[in-house]
Amino acid sequence: MTMFTRSDKAPDPTGAKPSTATPPSTPAAAAAAEPRPAQPRPAYTPAAQAASISVISKALKITGQLESTEDIQIEGEIDGDVRAVTVKVGANAKVKGTVYGDEVELAGSVEGKIEARKVVLTATAHMSGDVVHNDIRIDSGAYINGHCKPEYGKTSNNVQPLHKPAAPDKA
Amino acid sequence: MFALSRVAKKPAEIEPLPLSQVGRALKVTGLLEIEGELHVHGTVSGRINAERVVLGTGGCIEGDVVARDVCIGGRLTGRVFALHVTVESTADINGRVFHNTITVDKGARIDGRMPWRPLNYFETLERLPEIR
Repeated sequence: MTMFTRSDKAPDPTGAKPSTATPPSTPAAAAAAEPRPAQPRPAYTPAAQAASISVISKALKITGQLESTEDIQIEGEIDGDVRAVTVKVGANAKVKGTVYGDEVELAGSVEGKIEARKVVLTATAHMSGDVVHNDIRIDSGAYINGHCKPEYGKTSNNVQPLHKPAAPDKA
Repeated sequence: MFALSRVAKKPAEIEPLPLSQVGRALKVTGLLEIEGELHVHGTVSGRINAERVVLGTGGCIEGDVVARDVCIGGRLTGRVFALHVTVESTADINGRVFHNTITVDKGARIDGRMPWRPLNYFETLERLPEIR
């Protein structure tokens, strides 16, 4: 008989344990969702937010196109067009092709064209080709061979920054 | 190619691999060649030649990946040629994975063959007709 009563009591404390374990998960989930409530996918952790930065390092060479709805930092070599919101071309970077953007900061070399609302050519910049802009700054020391046209947004073929990313990261 | 020649270098000469990252919002079309590490969180259509490739959970690659180490956590359509392959539980692979060693997490979705190849296969990789 005593055995039966003992077995009855035993399950109670163990059964109480899971309920105490559950609460911590909800504040953690809320904290993860807080930093960027405007984002469509709040499930992204801080680690995933670091994933939104795009860096083309100096060891990387890309032949082809780059399109982004966010910022790109280029330190490597690109043979093709670049399309983003803010494009920073580092001191040793080379781009052959057109750079489209809202803001383009050039410290490296571009052979082709820049089309952006705001263009900054720093002292180490090397620009061969036209610059279509709305607002330009050229530092002393920058090389520029081409036309500077304050016509960004005035011609129809200007490319606006892309819209939200499409299907690929839906999963 | 993906610098198996690096192995021959003295340890002191090997500097940490330069890291490149394709962000979530970035879509790259074409050939990516890097003597280092590439993290893909966005979309890449085309060929990747690298030392090490990490495909993040939200990332997507369409095309061939040639590297020494490949870690797949996202969606991949195409072929992988790598000595060491790690397939995470979030991976969704459609295509062939040529490997020498492989780890597959429970939960990964794989549709395709995963052929084993000897070490020397990867050394002569750039000369193989199937890569072109």
